[in-house]
Amino acid sequence: MIQKYRAAPTDDLIWHALDSMTLLFHRPSGITHMLADPAPAILEIMADATLSADEIASRLAAEFDIDSGGDTENIVHARLAELSGLGLVERIPV
Amino acid sequence: MREMNQIRLGIGPAAFRIASAWRQPLEQLSGLYQDYPAPTDGIVDFTVRLEPEKPWRRYIRPSVHIGGDFWLPDAAPLPLAQGLLAAEMGMNLQMALGWRRHLLLHASSVEKDGKALIMTGLSGSGKSTLSAMLAERGWRFMGDEFALLDLDTGNILPFPRLISLKNQAIGAMRQVAAADRFGPEMKGTPKGDIRHLVPPKPAIERMDESASPALLLFPRFGHEPALRAMGQSEIFVRLTQASTNYVALGKAGFHALTRFVDRVPTKAMDYQSTDQAEELIESLWNQLP
Repeated sequence: MIQKYRAAPTDDLIWHALDSMTLLFHRPSGITHMLADPAPAILEIMADATLSADEIASRLAAEFDIDSGGDTENIVHARLAELSGLGLVERIPV
Repeated sequence: MREMNQIRLGIGPAAFRIASAWRQPLEQLSGLYQDYPAPTDGIVDFTVRLEPEKPWRRYIRPSVHIGGDFWLPDAAPLPLAQGLLAAEMGMNLQMALGWRRHLLLHASSVEKDGKALIMTGLSGSGKSTLSAMLAERGWRFMGDEFALLDLDTGNILPFPRLISLKNQAIGAMRQVAAADRFGPEMKGTPKGDIRHLVPPKPAIERMDESASPALLLFPRFGHEPALRAMGQSEIFVRLTQASTNYVALGKAGFHALTRFVDRVPTKAMDYQSTDQAEELIESLWNQLP
């Protein structure tokens, strides 16, 4: 079974770029998150789609012209776990 | 229970009723706030109550418990001689816990040319003393405790309460401000020696006039004079820490604070004397657009 993920609905999020970090205001919780790369890029790539970690990694690799492979996938897995803990990403049972 | 004495005070956009079981703190407040207007329609935002900790403590070793619309259960009572401090702490507490009309920053602010200089930092950074000193050197005093950020216009509104001078700042201000502007000296309070200072007249007469934020400083007293650039992320985090109602304001607070961080030039400033600080501030001020 492949674990899939879905980001918080785009309408629930307000983005604001600072110099080195990205602010994300989550309307339903009223919480301001401060995210470092590549977490904002992951959320952006996910948009409102339901995707696996591998799918996210390959979309990131294509978008940012980086090598897809073990490292990217491991990083995506780790960030997805953190974003799930923050309530910004939901694990979808498949 | 005997009826309490009370007065009403308008300070910037906020109106207070201060009620006290004793006359002394209210007489001191009335004297120090004599040039401040009473709230026009008599309606107040907050009530502060100075009450005996226990009924007999009204007379025997009188001790003042701070009550009101908002209060902290573990706030230690103060001796009656520090009743004025209790009233001022009570007003701060109501603002910190209850104010929702503006984003509240724990900061001092002064104005010149319609533009506001905002200074924030930890206790002991010197932000309060600096604002009091600059107010005697051509700046309009806007507040030494809270700067109110308007959610719509992005302007800073004054909240020019009495200036709360601590320890060495008392002696320094005695040399530049007239004696009749000082309240009673309160020694050995939980915050050290405290003496209140009435702000200069323009601060009171123009306390409804907002100003556009032009410069934000994080002063730090006691270090070689220096200015340091700060990243936006650090500024944002420190301002959320300096705000008592950022979370409560939700989306409106987020928009107000991100706009502030985007627009207002910011520096960390180290200094060892008011003269040094003034020189650094003037150099930055003269470079502003």
